[in-house]
Amino acid sequence: MMTKQLLLFALLPIALGAQILDPVVLTKPATDAWPTYNGDYSGRRFSTLNQIDQSNVMHLTLGWVFRVRAGAVPGAIVGGEGPAPVEGGPPNPDLSTIKATPLMVNGILYFATPDNAWAVDARSGHELWHYFWKTKGGIHIGNRGVGMYGNWLFFETPDDYLVSLDARTGKERWHVEIADVKQEYFSTPAPIVVGNHVLVGTGGDSLDVPGFLESHDPETGAIQWKWWSEPLKKGDPGSETWPDEYSMRHGGGMTWIPGTYDPELHLYYLGTGNPNPVLTGRGREGADLYTCSIVALNVDTGKLAWYFQPSPHDTHDWDAAQTTVLIDGLFEGKPRKMLAQANRNGYFFLLDRTNGKNLLTAPMVDTINWSKGIDANGQPIPNPDKEATISGVLVSPPSDGVTNWPPPSFDPDTGLFYVGVKESFSEYYLTDTDPHPEGYAAAEKYITSYGGSLLAIDYQTGKTRWKHSYIFGGGPIGILTTAGKLLFAGDGLGHLLAFDPSNGSILWHAGLSDDVSNGPETYMLDGHQYLVVGAGDSLYAFLLE
Amino acid sequence: MDMRILLQRTLRAIAGFSICVALAAQPAPPKYDPVSVARGQQAFVASCGFCHGSRAKGGEKGPDLLRSVVVLDDENGKGIGRVILKGRPDKGMPKFAMTEDQIVDIANFLHQSIYSAADRDSYQTLNIVTGDASAGKAYFNGAGNCGSCHSVTGDLKGIGAKYEPVTLQDRLLMPLDFGPSASTKAVVTVTVTTPSGEAVSGPLLWIDDFTVALRNSQGTYVSFARKSDVIPQVEVHNPFKPHSDMILHFSDAEIHNLTAYLVTLK
Repeated sequence: MMTKQLLLFALLPIALGAQILDPVVLTKPATDAWPTYNGDYSGRRFSTLNQIDQSNVMHLTLGWVFRVRAGAVPGAIVGGEGPAPVEGGPPNPDLSTIKATPLMVNGILYFATPDNAWAVDARSGHELWHYFWKTKGGIHIGNRGVGMYGNWLFFETPDDYLVSLDARTGKERWHVEIADVKQEYFSTPAPIVVGNHVLVGTGGDSLDVPGFLESHDPETGAIQWKWWSEPLKKGDPGSETWPDEYSMRHGGGMTWIPGTYDPELHLYYLGTGNPNPVLTGRGREGADLYTCSIVALNVDTGKLAWYFQPSPHDTHDWDAAQTTVLIDGLFEGKPRKMLAQANRNGYFFLLDRTNGKNLLTAPMVDTINWSKGIDANGQPIPNPDKEATISGVLVSPPSDGVTNWPPPSFDPDTGLFYVGVKESFSEYYLTDTDPHPEGYAAAEKYITSYGGSLLAIDYQTGKTRWKHSYIFGGGPIGILTTAGKLLFAGDGLGHLLAFDPSNGSILWHAGLSDDVSNGPETYMLDGHQYLVVGAGDSLYAFLLE
Repeated sequence: MDMRILLQRTLRAIAGFSICVALAAQPAPPKYDPVSVARGQQAFVASCGFCHGSRAKGGEKGPDLLRSVVVLDDENGKGIGRVILKGRPDKGMPKFAMTEDQIVDIANFLHQSIYSAADRDSYQTLNIVTGDASAGKAYFNGAGNCGSCHSVTGDLKGIGAKYEPVTLQDRLLMPLDFGPSASTKAVVTVTVTTPSGEAVSGPLLWIDDFTVALRNSQGTYVSFARKSDVIPQVEVHNPFKPHSDMILHFSDAEIHNLTAYLVTLK
């Protein structure tokens, strides 16, 4: 299989001719492109570019701003299965908030928001085309961007379609339904393209439906394989962690954050979401595999190679979907192939990514109060007293977690893993006392936060090397590190900042018209290193004067 | 000690920003005609409840209809009506003679039930007052040291009549949502001391790594650039620090007992 994959990569550039994205670009660290959600398959969001460095970062200046105009605006290419949008009424800010990390290929940026996709000139910020999808519904909370294969783009919609566009024109090639919006599925991930696989996940917490990851053919949209987050029937591996088939077929485990990939091991790594019902464990007694898990899947077959479950029998909505960051480096003095995740449940996990064995589990913040410790396998032990009750239980973190989807970063030069966190509490009140509860089954009342922080975690020890705290800002925020010895991140208070990644000193900042809302990215174009970041409804491009 | 660290430690004692307004959340209005839903519920319980359960969540014979794809895909009773009128003989479900209006009512009942299960903002808490009021009173006057700031005959007089128990419980933990919001600005104050020694105090309006802003004693908005960790010096005063300190140490039983006591203060 390995040989076949290498052969495929070797032949594709010839077979595809003058296509926009040469698939080989996807297999090496990006410099003159940002060809996939995390820049490359590792999820590190570390760029080897160093034209912008500590000595000149204070000379960064604004190159251009691109403000999106979402919806069926004049000039938009319109597709979709839904009715024509209603004219007038207040605009929905969720349709204009840029959570995607744009792809940059051959001087063009490609990105999406819910129901919308754009191509923008990376030199000038001028729009080339805008595609608008008429929706049938679904939760329009966000979209993490597009995937690319040759000349073809792929993005997902809130009403659960995978849409393929011609990158040159923005014209639709085809769309296929990946889930049923009436079952409360809604889709936000950026598809990840590996070889000739378009990997597509989905989301949805409200009606107890099972999660899955699908691989689609980039030419036709046909399904190549489908991996379910739960076992399908009694007797299948993992079914012993559920009381019955009915509970596992309604068990959740959404796949809503793009995964990472190791071309040598041929494994795709993915974090899965919480089990359902969300905020109570009644009716689904057991560990509830493979929800709240980090899984390794064979990218050609979708077969599970190994799993590790950061939150066994979760009852607090703490998806383990956060980016699985691949680290190659030393651990206890020996070179290892590792995988790190800063988890919504408040713990930092380090695994051996060849087999899923836990190397290290460490709390990231002091406030977390839901676990009775760490077991021999490195899994936190849930304290059953902190599961929602009728009278309420005080739990840190709230359901949105210590961290969340915004992408973290690993800098191989410092050996530090950077993540935005917050320390907060909620009361969880059980509202559904039925033996078979449904949906969330409990109400959450947010109590307070002790503030947000940017953490620099030593991956080898799990200890925080430095911490930059905010009073009103911070929290989960997208991060980029570079070989220019710089870390770029927002502060949640309308600024983009450059930090010294070794000690957290602030070296530069710029005020934007909104909070940074995506992961910053960088690329070389015409001899200039660009820094591009999304904040609310606008993309900002910075470069040296 | 680095002033930034000192400031951060001071500020960490402040309960920080809030990202949601759960305390103020109101139940969403019903999505389907309540009169039709009530009629549908009555018809459902009479004709369907024996097999599907009175809440449509499944019984000994019939499946859970709130998770049924037929129901989820239904539009105005069309899909549900086909099953009601024809039955499912292969699965032991008889057919039922119902009018179109009756079917629409049943469909509305089922769709509203699904909507209510899926819409967490509409969830209603149950009777949360399960604590021991006398233990709560003892805690209030003893270990909790609540009397150092509060009085049951003063600021807390009648508080049990003023708030629903769940609101009372949430507010005893933290009286307000913190953040750069109007309620925070009203209570958190800051003193900014410039290098020349001039000190200005007032409600804190904004603070980040680069700017601090307040309203001075004349009621004027004043902002200062923060040139370094110590220039100018910034000292934030939070009147709710005892609450943020307590949250780190409260047991759930202590919280429930305090709530049980406070609800008696009618």
